[in-house]
Amino acid sequence: MSSILRQHAEQLFALELEELQKQDSGQRPPNWKLSPQSVVDYLVGAKLKNGFEVSPKYIGNRRLMEIAVATLTTDRALLLYGLPGTAKSWVSEHLSAAVSGDSTMIIQGTAGTSEEAIRYGWNYARLLAEGPSEKALVETPVMRAMKEGKIARIEELTRIGADVQDTLITILSEKTLPIPELNTEVQAVKGFNVIATANNRDKGVNELSSALKRRFNTVILPVPDSIEEEIDIVRRRVESYEAAMQLPVEPPALQEIRRIVTIFRELRNGVTQDGKTKIKVPGATLSTAEAISVVNNGLAMAAYFGDGTLKAADIAAGIIGAVVKDPVQDAIVWKEYLETVVKTRDDWKDIYRACRDL
Amino acid sequence: MAIHILGIRHHGPGSARNVKNFLASIKPDIVLVEGPPEADPLLKWVGHQELKPPVAILCYRPDAPQQSVFYPFAEFSPEWQAILYAQTQPIPVRFMDLPIGQQFALEAPKDDGEASTEIPAGDPDPSSGTDKPAIENAVAENPVPRATIADLAKAAGFDNDEKWWDHMFENRAGEAPVFDAVSEAMQALREDHLSTDRLEKCREAYMRRCIRQAEREMFQNIAVICGAWHAPALANMPPRKEDDALLKDLPKVKIDTTWIPWTFQRLSFASGYGAGITSPGWYDHIWRYPEDNGIRWMAKVASLFREQQMDTSVAHVMEAVRLANALAALRHLPKAGLEELNEATLSVLCNGEPILLDLIRRKLIVSDRIGDTPADIPKPPLQMDLEKLQKRLRLPATADWKDYTLDLRKDTDLERSILLHRLRLLDIPWGQQQTTAGKGTFKEQWRLQWDPGFSIDIIEKGSYGNSVEEAANAFVIKKAEGSASLKEVTGLLAGALPAELSRAIDGLILLVNNLAVAGTDILQLMEALPELVNVSRYGNVRKTDADQVLSIVDSMTARICISLPAAATGIDDEAAAHLHTLVTALNEALSLLQNEPLTLQWQQTLQIMAASAHTVPLMAGYATRMLADRRLLAGPDLVKAFHYAMSAAVAPAAAAAWLEGFLTGSGSLLLVDEELYGVVNSWINELDGATFTEVLPLLRRSFSHFSPPERRRLGEKARTGGGSPVTTIIAAGFDTAKARLGIPVVLQLLGLTTEVHTQTLNDGNHE
Repeated sequence: MSSILRQHAEQLFALELEELQKQDSGQRPPNWKLSPQSVVDYLVGAKLKNGFEVSPKYIGNRRLMEIAVATLTTDRALLLYGLPGTAKSWVSEHLSAAVSGDSTMIIQGTAGTSEEAIRYGWNYARLLAEGPSEKALVETPVMRAMKEGKIARIEELTRIGADVQDTLITILSEKTLPIPELNTEVQAVKGFNVIATANNRDKGVNELSSALKRRFNTVILPVPDSIEEEIDIVRRRVESYEAAMQLPVEPPALQEIRRIVTIFRELRNGVTQDGKTKIKVPGATLSTAEAISVVNNGLAMAAYFGDGTLKAADIAAGIIGAVVKDPVQDAIVWKEYLETVVKTRDDWKDIYRACRDL
Repeated sequence: MAIHILGIRHHGPGSARNVKNFLASIKPDIVLVEGPPEADPLLKWVGHQELKPPVAILCYRPDAPQQSVFYPFAEFSPEWQAILYAQTQPIPVRFMDLPIGQQFALEAPKDDGEASTEIPAGDPDPSSGTDKPAIENAVAENPVPRATIADLAKAAGFDNDEKWWDHMFENRAGEAPVFDAVSEAMQALREDHLSTDRLEKCREAYMRRCIRQAEREMFQNIAVICGAWHAPALANMPPRKEDDALLKDLPKVKIDTTWIPWTFQRLSFASGYGAGITSPGWYDHIWRYPEDNGIRWMAKVASLFREQQMDTSVAHVMEAVRLANALAALRHLPKAGLEELNEATLSVLCNGEPILLDLIRRKLIVSDRIGDTPADIPKPPLQMDLEKLQKRLRLPATADWKDYTLDLRKDTDLERSILLHRLRLLDIPWGQQQTTAGKGTFKEQWRLQWDPGFSIDIIEKGSYGNSVEEAANAFVIKKAEGSASLKEVTGLLAGALPAELSRAIDGLILLVNNLAVAGTDILQLMEALPELVNVSRYGNVRKTDADQVLSIVDSMTARICISLPAAATGIDDEAAAHLHTLVTALNEALSLLQNEPLTLQWQQTLQIMAASAHTVPLMAGYATRMLADRRLLAGPDLVKAFHYAMSAAVAPAAAAAWLEGFLTGSGSLLLVDEELYGVVNSWINELDGATFTEVLPLLRRSFSHFSPPERRRLGEKARTGGGSPVTTIIAAGFDTAKARLGIPVVLQLLGLTTEVHTQTLNDGNHE
């Protein structure tokens, strides 16, 4: 096993991508590694003709993935939109891995992201020594993706300042990146496209201008429909984490995952699973991703401080940490939930005690 | 000789196109269509300019109109296209299903006359009840059990049978072999699912009989259009004898048929129509524009969005079409279907937010189209009359709702209002009356939405008369005569007045009078009186002669006044509370009427009730209070009465009830009426500590009926010792000189003279 902490999707799933490529008989758009059908198969999982099993990366509606992939075949860019932790970045990474075989052309959007980070920058030492030239240019992931005909990823697009966002317009509509200093331009090679992600919960974001919005097809990734779906997601991700972290611990019982997912769903929806009791909703997002990290956290606790099996005490701290984001308001919500819902469930006594003792 | 069996799906645009092309290529000399033979005479109207689909053939029993069946047709129904083809050629065309009269009769022993009881007479939404049983039993029902088609769809790798059928048969470009393939598929299914239903066997036997009949008449080239499920049964003819045995001695009832307008809404699956389709608007679109690759549809969507003030550019349309086609390619579909287009709309036009898709569903996918039928079609006379009125008053029947604000001072609007009121009395709720925003009694607001199901109500009500007025008159009278409740009859009277049903009004007034005289139950009289008072007041606005009503009010009030004191004695709490609400309403009604002799009579009754020791405390308290309000009991007398009722000898519960009656709805009154406040306040002040503790719960109970702000302000008032806070504020910042300047204008506005003004002002100064 390699010593890399987290491998890129195209490395982690190299075998699957290779098999898909071998079995793929569909027509591929220029510079795509797979046909659109195979990309969708890679994302939602499938059994190939030779019996090879492709694991699902995105668990949920296949049609959403079809829309996403179909968008990439047109000349519009793709905007994945949704609550934090609904697998936007995850989908974006796997999409680019499957389409271009490369998920590394990434720009993290922040309030400080400048135009140079999106278009190109200058190597000032060279610029001063040699004057403006191609060599003095510092390429950005977007520029490289354009040259190589790959997918560029922009994370948290709405966090980037509006003026900087708009530099994307020329790139997306004209598929070219002018470099006026050198009186030249970089024209995108076929296969280039952009996948952006943005979340709709954050405050202080910069809404896309309508000119830019028009260049994106929006796909909203929803929170999982059913509890079974969500449990499935958490279970799969936790298992892969365990393998990566080599934790000396038993795999968590489905029972424990179900309890965490139930707590998260109930607090997120403001109603108990049986639909009978209304619950106050905390300010936290309580996404599936957070449920996953609570379980992972609990596994680590169990492995290093516990007896090697995941117990209620190991996850209690993680749950409280995920739920109580505001020390005053959320704490009241959590306490109410604990006393009115958790306490009344007979087989939840251990978790009630663990949470109360903290 | 050739017989061509064309198995189709009802309302399938692809099937319709196939049928049209197929008929044109084989040139039959007769067309047989699955449908009720009773409606054969109606077929000649197809192709008439004014018969615009969606329309339906309505078959009903003239003696029991609620037992009825609709056969809807859209332009994209294969049956419609087949009939249209035959009419334009022209070649004979016939319906060949088992006559509806026999189907009804076959069902009858099963239901045992249930069909008529299924829909209660007063059902506000008869549509939901009427066609459902009918459709399930007989109408162009989807003859294929859904489960079986789902098997085929699953085998082909589709998750939804509709989709499978669409892609296999409807969206296909080629033609001829389609019908053979359908027949073959259904044959395979039928082998697995042997039908035991007698009705279905009879129907297929009758269809075969029709085909044989056509053969006997020496037709050479016979085209048969039937639901796909029946196709194999018609292709393989069993011996004639078997069919004859099946059809022998079938009972029969008389059936009438007519064309009625239909709506896409009612054609859709959501309305409970068994053979319904999910997207009539979309089917209509692909029928009209079979070559459309999504551009025209997206343009429609875009223009709908623009109507809703959503910026939608041409580029949006292009991008959406491109995405839809990319999706279709990804799914190995020959062209983008509704699902792909919807997903593209969602992603490109709506920025992923699904809210607007509902609008598209309502306006485009289902769409609010309504059909039309020619004026000269033989129709029930009541229907004709209604259509004439609709035309004259310019109130078209629409599938989507539309609001009308009627100004009753205008003749047309008055007539419209009368028509709507009459229809409402006939239990045909075409218009829903809504509350208007102020502006007096001459305005009415209506929301109109036509439901094709009304046709059946109209036919049913046709037995009462041939015009709307006549039918409404007769219907109201019949309803009133069947009722023994005074309240119900006065309710009808209240409805009949704005509907200007003079004949019914006369009858109703007579009836009310009779019931009032004969009625021994004073409570019933009291329930009815407020309504009658309203009627008499409303009647004046509507130029109706309300004198008769007034005379009834007179006599009823007299009788109530006589019996009420007796009725208010010796009853339990519950009855007293009920009486209390009735008397409150009655009191309000009489105050509204402002009729001197009646008011006097009422005051006397109140005095009797207040004075009698036998009156239940709640009513006695209430009566005392009413007298105090009218200044008939004031000053020391009032204080005396109050103390008497609250004295220690009275049981606490009785005292509490009395106080409750006395303080009814007077939270704000206590605040502003100093005298009333003084009485209550001084009584409390005079109580000693022990007694106060005793009556505290009673007081609490009475005050608990007031609203929280009232209670809060009462508390404030008690704390400040009864001084009104309002007066103090005025005293603080009052500039008499300036106020004097403004008063003439105010008085002029109020229509008072200036002489009064000085006087008033002086009074004000002294205060």
